[in-house]
Amino acid sequence: MVLQTYFAGRLAARLALLGSLGLLAGAVRPAKAQAPTDTLRLRQLPTVRVAGLRPTRFAVGSRQLVLDSLALNNYRTGTLADALGARTAIYLKNYGPGQLSSISLRGTSARHTAVLWNGFNINLPSLGEADFALLPVNGTTQIEVQPGPAGATYGNGAVGGTVQLSAAPTGPADWGRGWHGTVQGDYGSFGLGAGLATAGFSNQKIALRTSFNYRRADNDFPYGGRDGQGQVQRQENAAFRQTSFSQDATLRLGQRGELSAAIWLTDADRQIQPGLGTNNTNALERDQSRRLTAGYRRVSTRNEWAVRTAWFEDVINYRDDLSGLSESTVRTSQAQAEHTWRLAPNASVRVGAEAQHFAAQVDGYGAAPRTENRYSGFLLLRYDPRPRLQLSLNLRQAVLPGRQPPLTPTAGAEWLVLAAGRHALSLKGNASRSYRAPTLNERYWRPGGNPDLLPEESFGYEGGLAHTFKTTVLTLQTELTGYQQLIDNWVQWTPGASYWSPRNLRQVRARGLEASSTLGWQPGAYRLMARGSYAFTSTEKTQGTAADADPVGRQLPFVPRHTVALSTDHAWRGWQLGSTLTYTGYRYTDASATAFLPGYLLLNASVGRTLALAPAWQLLVLAQGYNLTNNDYQNYRNRALPGRNASLSLRLLWR
Amino acid sequence: MKSFSAFASLPGRLLLGSAAALSLLACDPSNDPTPGPPPVVTNSVFVINEGNYGSANADISLFSKASGTVTSKALYASANGKALGDVAQSMVVRDSLGYIVLNNSNKLEVVSLAKFSSKARIENLKFPRYFAAASSDKGYVTETVAYGSNGQVSVIDLKSNKVLKQIAVGVQPEKLAVVGARLYVTNNGSNTVTVINTGTDVVEGTITVGDGPNSIVADRNGRVWVLSSGKIVYTPTTATRLSKGSLSQIVPGQLTATTREMPSDQSSPGNLTINGSLDQLYYTYQGGVYTLGLTEATLPTKPLIRRDFYGLGVDPQDGTIYGGLASFTADDKVIRYRTTGAAIDSFTVGIGPNGFVFY
Repeated sequence: MVLQTYFAGRLAARLALLGSLGLLAGAVRPAKAQAPTDTLRLRQLPTVRVAGLRPTRFAVGSRQLVLDSLALNNYRTGTLADALGARTAIYLKNYGPGQLSSISLRGTSARHTAVLWNGFNINLPSLGEADFALLPVNGTTQIEVQPGPAGATYGNGAVGGTVQLSAAPTGPADWGRGWHGTVQGDYGSFGLGAGLATAGFSNQKIALRTSFNYRRADNDFPYGGRDGQGQVQRQENAAFRQTSFSQDATLRLGQRGELSAAIWLTDADRQIQPGLGTNNTNALERDQSRRLTAGYRRVSTRNEWAVRTAWFEDVINYRDDLSGLSESTVRTSQAQAEHTWRLAPNASVRVGAEAQHFAAQVDGYGAAPRTENRYSGFLLLRYDPRPRLQLSLNLRQAVLPGRQPPLTPTAGAEWLVLAAGRHALSLKGNASRSYRAPTLNERYWRPGGNPDLLPEESFGYEGGLAHTFKTTVLTLQTELTGYQQLIDNWVQWTPGASYWSPRNLRQVRARGLEASSTLGWQPGAYRLMARGSYAFTSTEKTQGTAADADPVGRQLPFVPRHTVALSTDHAWRGWQLGSTLTYTGYRYTDASATAFLPGYLLLNASVGRTLALAPAWQLLVLAQGYNLTNNDYQNYRNRALPGRNASLSLRLLWR
Repeated sequence: MKSFSAFASLPGRLLLGSAAALSLLACDPSNDPTPGPPPVVTNSVFVINEGNYGSANADISLFSKASGTVTSKALYASANGKALGDVAQSMVVRDSLGYIVLNNSNKLEVVSLAKFSSKARIENLKFPRYFAAASSDKGYVTETVAYGSNGQVSVIDLKSNKVLKQIAVGVQPEKLAVVGARLYVTNNGSNTVTVINTGTDVVEGTITVGDGPNSIVADRNGRVWVLSSGKIVYTPTTATRLSKGSLSQIVPGQLTATTREMPSDQSSPGNLTINGSLDQLYYTYQGGVYTLGLTEATLPTKPLIRRDFYGLGVDPQDGTIYGGLASFTADDKVIRYRTTGAAIDSFTVGIGPNGFVFY
């Protein structure tokens, strides 16, 4: 009996391991839902090389949305804003094509989403958020979104959720591929031009990948019909060009060691699109990020340790006619170290620490550089007491300058209730405390910066179920999650007698429902992937300080109550046909919940053909159409967006 | 958090009240060499809702004094079926026309007050701030142009609604006032007031006042009062105030001013306003509203109203004080007070009420 449990537990652990390697990853992966037993697959693994445990292994009971390379296939020259906007029910505030695009997970603000690249937080330290229009898809091979608080697992800012970008080759499929490469060119409406070149090499010892992206557009699109004089109005001052270069290298040292390094450079030169009816100040913004990481990992059957270091430089230089030039450079140095013990096949413990040093040279902070250090230590536990029951308990304590955030624990559980024939049903849930450190702007901006700000704190919990139905030709995964969280000490900039200042103003409650379904069907040569997701989001202020004039009990501005995303991808003998349809419900534009932007539907479609040119050469011809119903709509207040438009891509693939 | 000064005591208020009463007595019309302006009757209050920067959601709310209610929250949009523009900085009435300065739309919108319909638009201004009319034919607009360099005043032909001339002034010109045959322009980015001859539209000279002049009124004796915010300089570790806020008085024709410093350097005074009989000054300071008679020797140290207003107005008919609270996130509130500082009522307007026009 004991023996049996032991083996079953071991198998579950191995399967979960496979899942974490991405082998079982669907487009929407029910977090660690137990896969049907498949011992064959285990035996077919090549040389026994134990992979490291991904952080998601300690995120039991959380919902995970994975956009893998397949789902990102049509967005190779695009940005995260394009991919997430079209493929998920996540609301991104979008100031225009190529303009600022900030994420709102579970009704929180962009500062409440931690964006990690290879495990390091890449939110701009000055603003505390990432502009998703500046993150090219090609810089990453996979996007994982974990909505909900998970501060213990992912650190600062993981309040509304976490977006993880992983670039380094992590799956067995990335090894031993030899040489491969891609070249792509895009041409589209309103002066859109884009290009992409990637090259890679891997054997069983070394894996290299280089990619270069370029994207530009004039964005002189017509909007809003004709003006009073019968003239077609065209968008002004919205052109941009951006480039991205990334280089990943992983070297296997012996059977257990792995040395990896990555470089990611992005550079965007944007005109800043003025709002409708507002003055064109010829605003320009230059955003440059240089990101370097290096790490070493040593994995054995019982132990695993890793050290990682990163150096980032984020430049934002802004200029307009009124204010002139404002420059900002923030350099972030980070280091992480962790040790994992696999105590038993069904139990692992990870202990780690993280240190961050920020050095900011920002015009708004004054002439002298500002520096700040933040530290945190964490303990992650994963224990599967029964083969069908998985538990995780994580703790993190951050040390910030000034006031301290509380200890942030996360506890999660997942129970495979039913695994009968083709059906598998899991129940899952987790509760988590999270924190967000005040951003450098919130602390040091002059005038107004408030060094006495408290970290924001949040406590949230969620519960849900995941169902998988699987036959040889069909897989249907459905997931339903309900959540609630309270965010305390919510920071907002408010006007004072002579300047604006951030204050810990209020408590906000976010609650909602997320439902999603993914269908994969492959009866023969034809293959279908269809996804549907829906989110109901209710975010309200529940109480505030005396200085907070906003009313309680009303939906926060720019949080749509309802969002829907539907997509289909069809493939047949080299042909591909895809469609995405998103609905974004009305969004209030003020805290009194009176004025609002109407909801809108957005339909995009693509058709493509892959031709085999030579044994190792393929050509993909892809036409994409956007906003096919020619909707005149606003995503964010007062910012014009283009009507129907299109692009044509040619992609040459080698091996 | 806003720190309030520690003068909330009842004796303080009584003292202040009696000081105000005394100052009113001091201005007894029978003893005054220059009679005050004729009484004004006002029926409506136009509340200027600045709106959110970049969002073009500025508008004017119309408050009816008779009913004590807001009869139109977004008067321009409802009368014209379109948005007013971005950042309504100010509004002035002249000859049954309203002149609304849209700072971030670079325009001056002219509306008829009868129906609030758009009559004309003066465009391509450079970050216009405030407007003043010298006559039915001529008006002036201050324009920032760019921070850190000299701004300008555009001379506007109010018949053709065209810009006649641009006059270079100091850095960041803000509020302006026509007094007699002169136009006084506060240069907020420096410590000067530019004096322009309204006959020739030529600069007569500049007057040195306190650092950061931001608002200006003329009293019943024709004296010009200028309120300055003071200057703050930032060092790597702290914000250091180089100068306190101040109140200056200018005798027309002279290019000098007598300046008095504010008691505390913890706040920047603003929104200098005068009552209908042009003998009582009001301004915002230290999270409150302060008031001062023309002949008071010292500046008040206690507020009349303890509330941090973004916009301040005084009804010229009865001296009712209007304070606009600005959150810039939700529909904002205006609170009305008697001249004693006792609250009357409040009403909801648009976003960011920064000023009031009584008509």
